[in-house]
Amino acid sequence: MNKLRKVTSLILAMSLSASVLAGCGNGSTESQASQASQAQASSQAGGQVKLVWALWDKDKTTYYQPLIDAYKEKNPNVTIEMKDLGSTDYQTALGTQLAGGDSGLDIITVKDVPGYAAMTNAGQLEDLTQYIKDNNIDLKKYGGITDQVTVDGKLYELPFRSDFWLLYYNKDLFDKAKVDYPTNDMTFEQYDALARKLVSGSGNDKTYGAHYHTWRSAVQLFGILDGKHTVLDYQDGYTWMKPYYEMVLKQQDDGVVMDYATLKTSSTHYSGVFENSSVAMMNMGSWFISTLMADNKAGKSTAKNFGIVKYPHAEGVEPGSTLATITGLAVASSSKNKEAALDFVKFASGEEGAVVVAKTGTIPAIMSDDVIEFITSMEGFPTDPNSKEALKTSHTYLEMPMNAKSAEVETALNDDHDAIMTKSISIDEGLKKMSEDVKAILG
Amino acid sequence: MGKARTKVILYVILILLAFTMLLPFVWMLSASLKLNKDVFTFPIQWIPQNPRWENYQDIWTVIPLGRFVGNTAILTVIVTLLQLLTSSFAAYAFAKLDFKGKNALFLGYISTIAVPWQAYMVPQFIMMRNTFHLNDKLTAIVCLQAFSAFGVFLMRQFYADIPNELCEAARIDGLNEYQIWGKIMLPLSKPALSTLTIFTFVNTWNDFLGPLIYLTTTEKKTLQIGLRMFISQYSTEYGLIMAASVVALIPVLIVFLSLQKYFVQGIATSGLKG
Amino acid sequence: MSTHVKTVSSKGRKRRNNLIAYSFIAPNFIGFAVFTLVPILMAVGLSFMKWNGSAVQGPQFVGLANYAKLFTDSRFKQAFINTVIYTVATVPLTMITSLLLAVILNQKIFARNFFRTISFFPYVASLVAVAAVWNALFSPEKGPVNQVLRAIGISNPPGWAVDSNWAMATLILFSVWKNMGYYMIMYLAGLQSISPELYEAAGLDGANTVQKFRYVTLPQLGNTSFLVLIMVTIQCFKVYDVVLMITNAGPGTKTLVLVFHIYNVAFKQWDLGYASAISMVLFLMVLIVTIVQFRGEKKISN
Repeated sequence: MNKLRKVTSLILAMSLSASVLAGCGNGSTESQASQASQAQASSQAGGQVKLVWALWDKDKTTYYQPLIDAYKEKNPNVTIEMKDLGSTDYQTALGTQLAGGDSGLDIITVKDVPGYAAMTNAGQLEDLTQYIKDNNIDLKKYGGITDQVTVDGKLYELPFRSDFWLLYYNKDLFDKAKVDYPTNDMTFEQYDALARKLVSGSGNDKTYGAHYHTWRSAVQLFGILDGKHTVLDYQDGYTWMKPYYEMVLKQQDDGVVMDYATLKTSSTHYSGVFENSSVAMMNMGSWFISTLMADNKAGKSTAKNFGIVKYPHAEGVEPGSTLATITGLAVASSSKNKEAALDFVKFASGEEGAVVVAKTGTIPAIMSDDVIEFITSMEGFPTDPNSKEALKTSHTYLEMPMNAKSAEVETALNDDHDAIMTKSISIDEGLKKMSEDVKAILG
Repeated sequence: MGKARTKVILYVILILLAFTMLLPFVWMLSASLKLNKDVFTFPIQWIPQNPRWENYQDIWTVIPLGRFVGNTAILTVIVTLLQLLTSSFAAYAFAKLDFKGKNALFLGYISTIAVPWQAYMVPQFIMMRNTFHLNDKLTAIVCLQAFSAFGVFLMRQFYADIPNELCEAARIDGLNEYQIWGKIMLPLSKPALSTLTIFTFVNTWNDFLGPLIYLTTTEKKTLQIGLRMFISQYSTEYGLIMAASVVALIPVLIVFLSLQKYFVQGIATSGLKG
Repeated sequence: MSTHVKTVSSKGRKRRNNLIAYSFIAPNFIGFAVFTLVPILMAVGLSFMKWNGSAVQGPQFVGLANYAKLFTDSRFKQAFINTVIYTVATVPLTMITSLLLAVILNQKIFARNFFRTISFFPYVASLVAVAAVWNALFSPEKGPVNQVLRAIGISNPPGWAVDSNWAMATLILFSVWKNMGYYMIMYLAGLQSISPELYEAAGLDGANTVQKFRYVTLPQLGNTSFLVLIMVTIQCFKVYDVVLMITNAGPGTKTLVLVFHIYNVAFKQWDLGYASAISMVLFLMVLIVTIVQFRGEKKISN
């Protein structure tokens, strides 16, 4: 018994020390704050401010460094250090860094809506609403996309990139098949028919008519383009996704597109299949434009002669309706240099930042005629008028609307998408399961 | 006659096994010398027609592979040494000494092996950062990995096999416990130490999530983060990915090969048991 | 021996012995307690709290709410079942294959070291790399494995990792293949400690190969087998990386396992309290199985 008591007291002592440590998150911030303010004081002694910026794929992304350089030119006293948290596990690494306060991070790149929701729920991002008002930042220039990420009237991020989905096509393959190029006003029926005309060859030399990457966005979100639904609307059993799953699975059965299962097991990257000229058309985000142009230039791609058009649309829906993702910048609420960080965010997400981003061939969040003009006149951008016109969108819908439970819904939607695409479940049952799953989360 | 037949069957099994074990690596090697477009051809071209040795040159420049290998090597060596030393030390007490609270402590040790790291990763990170200020330091990974309960468990099981009479005899000869550990147990436990070395080495060498969370600047990153970043950024370049994987494999193989002889030079061959 | 030691000041001696023992344990234990045990205890505490990593609002005590949630979480149920299936199949398969491999490679055979090294390959290679190779080999359409199967007349070969009937089997097969080399090493080390005289004695008694294996090798390997059993079991319950790389829990949730679910709950939904609660279930499962195995071991060794 004596032994037992000793063990218990040992455990108790430990859990006590544990709770003290856990308290470090908020309790002992005082000492840390004083440390930090000392550090800040010393750094500001020479007027120097150092900001830490959390981001991913530092070496592969072309616009981080130019943004920093452009900002430094105007603010020579500020240094910005990039922290590359990797793209695959970005939110895991970032969330862990931010957990419990003092993260040492100042500027946060917000990768997607579920991550944004998680961080706003946890109060890890600074509310920018007042700052936006004080600095007269006009949110209208973001084309209404900021409304979609406003929570209870508060905005926690400013978009600096805004991507939307387009249809890429390989002109050489169309010429070879003697088929007319796709247009900016194409219904899904026309698109499907077109894809079927472009299939040729077999084995490794086979050319596919179209291509869907393994993401759920590539297939199920055709359904939200009429503006009548979001993926959160489980009430009607997601029947509105059905025509698109049917179209894609039929194309897969007929060998018009590559098989989902193969793509998944081989982790095939979409850029590879397009750049190897093995697919004639591919729906993909506008972020691919700069990659494609760069790879074309470097001689890594055979799809030099490519074009882009607007997303296909359902009957009666305005062309140019498409999916959007935004990449935002936010300020960590634990930042010790909030003012400087806010200033950088304002710069990067504003007009000046937009020009810098556009210069790298990437679509910034602010789409002015100048920006479009700039991107379309870059070397390697398709010269036909349709491709230029394709960059003008009419309606954009977020891939995942803002909701406190976005992350959970995302997981469920991905699982069910995977089940349907691998034919583990029929489309009807899959959609039924999807609506049950989402209902269980939101209902 | 019967002996010859069993031998034949044995070899058939072995060759089949070797084939399944080796095939993926031959494929890896062959893919590492190919252009991406040739990787998935069928029938498989086991020997590439125009081997692209450039792949092995390129991987050192597209990511700072040299630095990653260096970091990983430092980490792995320190962790492995610490692990070996502290575990065999503690295991000796658990296997050969009687003391108060032995069973409770041992059960406590083992049961923590069962808790998945993902469950306490966040509290651990907060503690490391706020209490020890070890964010973005290689030391953090050393602290995390070097004192695992697992090593103690493994060594204790091996020590339990060594006859108690040996220790008793040594005690009578006037050796103290530390001497017994150093002069008798350690030399006898070479197979166990080799096993633990390989286990720790492989685990640390191949660990991914730990370094990803703790080491956030490029200068401190490890090989596996590099490999993973490589795959996410160049996922179409199978040739390069495979070349990097082959390079990553070599150090672990060297460790294995150099420890190999200790598995056969165990207690039995030194003739101490029985 | 111990009877006459007890005579003089046994209390003082005991204390001294205790101190010596603690001094052996201390270097490892202190590191372990600070860096592992304390965070684990925090996680235990967290399982009774609600926390999303916020600094503004620290963890809040919610009693058993997280544990109650387990009963309504269908993904948890699925993950639980999958983990059990995976473990029940993988543990015996891994043990049998690695033991057989070790026994074979302990014989004096041609190119023994070569074969030993090869069987170790899958274990030492980085998971990222071997998983990529494995996935390519088993790819349903273009993969060489299915190409061969088709060539020998199986017109409809399984889709392996992306086939809802085969995904779990693929996962198990991969795990066994990946890890058997390591456990083979442990068995090899164990086999080395069996005295050759035991085999000679058995040979004199007229035992054949199978009998020698049954009556000498197996009982002598008791400790090793027990160690392997516990290691494989724990490893199986904690499986995560392999699932991520081979099936990504799919198709659908066909291969969703507990740690995968924990990862999602913790790092996608940032429900750290609930994630800890699921971990505690996992912990209890392993603890129970381990205690049962310990009991079993004592019975066998007595």
